[in-house]
Amino acid sequence: MFKIPKEKEVPLGCITPAPVAEQPMMITGNWREYRPVIDNEKCNLCMSCIIFCPDACWQLNAEEDEPVWNWKYCKGCLICVNECTSGALSKAYELDFEDGVVRLEKPF
Amino acid sequence: MAKEMVLSGLAASAQAAKLAKIEVACSYPIRPYTALMMELAKMVANGELDCEFIHGEGEHGQLSVVLGAAAAGARALTGSSGVGVTYAFETYSPIAGGRVPLQMCIADRALDPPGDFGSEHTDAMSARDQGWLMGWAETPQEALDNSLINYRVGEDHRVLLPQFVCQDGYFVSHIPGPVVVPEQAQADEFLPPYKLPHPLDPHHPVSHGPQIRPDQGTVIDMQRAQAHLDTPQVIKEAFEDFGRIFGRKYGFLDQYKTEDAEMVLFIQGAHAFTARHAINHLRAKGVKIGLVKLRFVRPWPTQEVAEVLSRFKAVGVVETSTSYGGAMRGGNLLHEVRASLYDAPKRPLTTSFMAGLGGEVIPLAEFYWMAEKLSSMIKEGKTRKTVYWVGYESED
Amino acid sequence: MAVEVKTQELPMIKKIRNIPKDEMYVPGHRTCAGCGPALQYRLVTKAAGPNTILHGPTGCMYVANASYLCTPYRVPWIHCQITNAGAVASGTEAAYQVLIRKGKWKGELPNIIVMAGDGGSVDIGLQAMSGMMYRGHDALFVCYDNESYANTGIQTSPTTPYGANTTFTPPGPHVPEGKKLFPKDPPQLVIGGHPAVKYVATASIAYPIDLMNKVRKALNVKGPTFLHIHAPCPKGWKFPESQTIELARLAIQTGMWNLYEWEDGEYKYQHTPKEYKPVREYMKLQGRFAHLTEAHIAKMQAFVDARLKAPGKPVAMPMAMPRES
Repeated sequence: MFKIPKEKEVPLGCITPAPVAEQPMMITGNWREYRPVIDNEKCNLCMSCIIFCPDACWQLNAEEDEPVWNWKYCKGCLICVNECTSGALSKAYELDFEDGVVRLEKPF
Repeated sequence: MAKEMVLSGLAASAQAAKLAKIEVACSYPIRPYTALMMELAKMVANGELDCEFIHGEGEHGQLSVVLGAAAAGARALTGSSGVGVTYAFETYSPIAGGRVPLQMCIADRALDPPGDFGSEHTDAMSARDQGWLMGWAETPQEALDNSLINYRVGEDHRVLLPQFVCQDGYFVSHIPGPVVVPEQAQADEFLPPYKLPHPLDPHHPVSHGPQIRPDQGTVIDMQRAQAHLDTPQVIKEAFEDFGRIFGRKYGFLDQYKTEDAEMVLFIQGAHAFTARHAINHLRAKGVKIGLVKLRFVRPWPTQEVAEVLSRFKAVGVVETSTSYGGAMRGGNLLHEVRASLYDAPKRPLTTSFMAGLGGEVIPLAEFYWMAEKLSSMIKEGKTRKTVYWVGYESED
Repeated sequence: MAVEVKTQELPMIKKIRNIPKDEMYVPGHRTCAGCGPALQYRLVTKAAGPNTILHGPTGCMYVANASYLCTPYRVPWIHCQITNAGAVASGTEAAYQVLIRKGKWKGELPNIIVMAGDGGSVDIGLQAMSGMMYRGHDALFVCYDNESYANTGIQTSPTTPYGANTTFTPPGPHVPEGKKLFPKDPPQLVIGGHPAVKYVATASIAYPIDLMNKVRKALNVKGPTFLHIHAPCPKGWKFPESQTIELARLAIQTGMWNLYEWEDGEYKYQHTPKEYKPVREYMKLQGRFAHLTEAHIAKMQAFVDARLKAPGKPVAMPMAMPRES
């Protein structure tokens, strides 16, 4: 009866699938002006960066000996840098990086 | 064995809820629908009905509670009257748009101001654009039957819409009438268990109702419109099955003495009962009059209304509701009757009669008066007035 | 044959290394950088785990989280009106009681959680919240408090502090302090008169383990429970987004926010400062208080002092320790 283009489809009753590990329909890595940078030598595994990130962008690696940063979603709020107890985290200007999101041809 | 009882409309509605094995009910007192919840409370206390009986904090709360329950996968029922119906208004579109098929039993009551316990249809009618199914019962038997039919239709996966199952306050809700209460086996055959495609279930997580962009809104509106295009077929199937299982065959329109009628009264709800008696008396006097009774206001049976009413010379729409400032400055049924007939090749003369407002009865004399007006219209070949406030018109 | 409804028993988290790894609130949401409420959402859902159903009334944690046509909730979630989250959650809980009892759904009773902002808890949502607390549903009502109606552009709510600049309480010659009213106290609204409630607590994102354990404790308690979580808002309170946790900590150190539990009539306190810093230390970091005079700040200090000292009020004044002579 109605012709709806694919990009405008909406699931019935506006009931959408739940995400599992991330929500790729709302990538936020392209928000940041600064990114946190970690010096693993200094890190004391206090877990502050991991626990205080509203976007869960620091997670322990598989060996559970290093925090790993989420380049795709980090908004650059720098709470982690502010809360770091060992001075391992510092901030750096996003444009200074080859993979700086503001340099991307297509922002995701 | 189906039982023949004498029950008020709300007691009959309670029997329907029991047959439907409702799982969550949410109560809040307001005249006159309260009797439904009192009956259900007794059933729960006696162990006749295994149902969570929740005391809502208000009508808005009632609708919210049954929304959560129905979205989680339980068959849920609530109800209200008058300003209770309008207090819950915020919830109606979210429930219908969320495609949550819960049921609300409305025992009509005139809206404030001021307090008036009498019945007018405006309370439910004012919500007719919110996307729910909506229809009226004429008798306590119909109150029971409509409830079962609405569960069946609303919960069908082609529909998935909530239902306003309405009955006039006091005239149907409280005055007892003969009711054949079906047996459980019949209800079980007619009504499959409640099952949603995507309930709130930790085993299968989903998100109900994220925010959308404006350009996504049209598509949701179209889906909701499509549901009302698909519903009549489901209703027809339900009517078929109902007739087969329970022996009572319903249709979108009930016709009474219309075979050779020149004029008909178009009506919904309790006063159709009195109208039938009036028609019998008028027929005895040789007046060729009949009755067409509406069962579902939403979805409005546009095609049926056009086909049936085209056969007559004049149609008098009996309005027990108000639509201030509307096109006809009267009630709300006439607008949709005229819209249904607009493109018909043959159109009757139509007018409307504001009657039974405030909760008054419509006495036989008023129906005779309406018949006279319809006769004059046919004689003159035109509609002089589109709205008559019956009993208050200065004579022409 | 009725099936017994069993509930989960979540263990307390003893060490920060033992926090659950799984995210129930995943990256990919439109909340502001440094959003306090987003962090509390992450921590609450992490503590609750996968057998959970979330109820999200309109507010920042709806509009910012659930845009557009997607959400970051790994567990089932339903949007509620700002008016009715307590009622919708009541319905979900009732449904699961009957579905489990009838054998139609198998498992332990899911955690039924409301995640409401301050407005959706004690202003427009007060009626539904109170109904849920009164009726004894086995569910948790979380009030995340960013002290304003933030989602609509920072308007005053009943928990907005005295003297705060919001778009409905802008300071001017006619109203020098901006906001003249003192805030409602959400946990006290619940504790006062809901006999079915056995556990109420306040929490803060500054103390995440304490927060998560309070969530688990509240979920373990059978019946309705209420958590009031302080969640600073960089946009609304006007401070740099990297300082969200710092400000949450400072709120506790100045007495502007107090951590306590109320369980079966008994108060217990957590992270009570040995000495309270003056409220000025907290207020000077926030642009929403920048217009206040000394007189206004004094009024705020007096309010906080009275709340700490008043007999029968929940927060214990630290005892002066005897000095060695």
